[in-house]
Amino acid sequence: MTLKVYADRLSQPSRAVLIFCKINGIDFEEITVEFLKHQQFTPEYKEINPMSQVPAIVDGTFKLFESHAILIYLASAYPGVPDHWYPADVFKRAKIHSVLAWHHSYLRRGATGIVYHSIMAPLHGLTFDPQVPEQARKILPKSLSILEDYWLEGTGPFLFGNSEPSIADLSLVCEIMQLEFLSEKEYREILSPYKKVLKWIEDTKNATGPYFDEVHMALFNVQNEIRERMVKQSISSHKGGSESECIK
Amino acid sequence: MALKVYADRMSQPSRAVLIFCKINGIDFEEIQVDVFKGQQFSPEYKAINPMHQVPAIVDGQLKLFESHAILIYLSCAFPVASHWYPSDPSKRAKIHSVLDWHHSYLRRGAGGLTFNSIMAPLNGFRSYPQVIIQAEEILLRSLSKLENFWLKDGGFLVGSSQPSIADISLACEVMQLELLSEKDYHRIMGPYKKVKKWIDDIRSATAPHFDEVHERLYKSQKVYRERMVTHSGKNKVRSKM
Repeated sequence: MTLKVYADRLSQPSRAVLIFCKINGIDFEEITVEFLKHQQFTPEYKEINPMSQVPAIVDGTFKLFESHAILIYLASAYPGVPDHWYPADVFKRAKIHSVLAWHHSYLRRGATGIVYHSIMAPLHGLTFDPQVPEQARKILPKSLSILEDYWLEGTGPFLFGNSEPSIADLSLVCEIMQLEFLSEKEYREILSPYKKVLKWIEDTKNATGPYFDEVHMALFNVQNEIRERMVKQSISSHKGGSESECIK
Repeated sequence: MALKVYADRMSQPSRAVLIFCKINGIDFEEIQVDVFKGQQFSPEYKAINPMHQVPAIVDGQLKLFESHAILIYLSCAFPVASHWYPSDPSKRAKIHSVLDWHHSYLRRGAGGLTFNSIMAPLNGFRSYPQVIIQAEEILLRSLSKLENFWLKDGGFLVGSSQPSIADISLACEVMQLELLSEKDYHRIMGPYKKVKKWIDDIRSATAPHFDEVHERLYKSQKVYRERMVTHSGKNKVRSKM
């Protein structure tokens, strides 16, 4: 029975799992769960993932959610995945776990906090919290600085100065790609100081070509529409709210 | 050269690493980094963990931070019983899944609530009332998920009959709620029978180290509860009733 991957290509962790499967030739069926249409709340999907989030996988009778757990499982359970994605060496593996854990509280909180709560949710009539982007705008530059000055230190182009990408590179780069939903001006303002980060995004894209671009097409297809709607509704991502449902 | 563990026993993830080392007989030197005294910002500690957080370890050439990464590393690098971090990819995956969930849910909830409503105001640090409200909402949702999903098969997390690193990590987080007033503790924890039993089971499975490592928390609990009674009350946890 083929692996099933429940994903929404507008979701950063979904994209990381899809790109990983494709670059490693893992045979799978992609099942779209559109979170902007609330499909994660159907009873059928709740059976797969009671947390109502994407991505999730079903491998035979085995169900799993949380993208880092999924990436590690796929790297371990599927033959032929090159070692650099999730090295067997205990020290190298520990570093990957360290940055993946850091990601939750830093880069993910920063990027998702801004993009979801000030753009995606208000534009699509979903519940959001206008306080979150304010906190996130402090966390995001801090996270990018830490990436630039610490995690990308070393001679190679990838995290930890590695010469080849790991699951951590894929996960974190997919997160930063979500910032493409910001206005062009804001995207440039936020990211332009971080030269190593910008190069690392390109290197990760090249290392997973053509799948990286193919999986990110869904994001780029709606990017213009989102940007136009943000301008039209005069919701600057700095204000982070509209008549949509707000968490008080 | 012995393993060094940089920890603050008031920090939930620090306690998890300490208990894990002790129950598995891992030889280590505990080096205290007192967070409320700002010791995590010293240049010496920055060289260990540039994120200025506890815990961190130094094992020979390896410096490592983030408690989940540390627990996994210790499970692999030292001879420990396999139930702590099973080698089977599916069992291991379930442990990774709950550890990841923990970051955004239980940790944000319990950590956010106890820090902002008790520890920060009583130690002269800034706290954010809005964060207290958000954190309590997240905490209640998280405890519900623990009770009804992660512990639905009884025993330990993800239906296991023996504890894993995930049980120690999450239990130490729930223990932080002991810093709340008795009234708030019972109001929040009251409905969650399975969670309470699970904490007792972990305490038994890691005895006597669980209680020994939590001694400092209990001492602080007494002090904090007395001080909160005479505190202005503006940073107290507000009941949703």
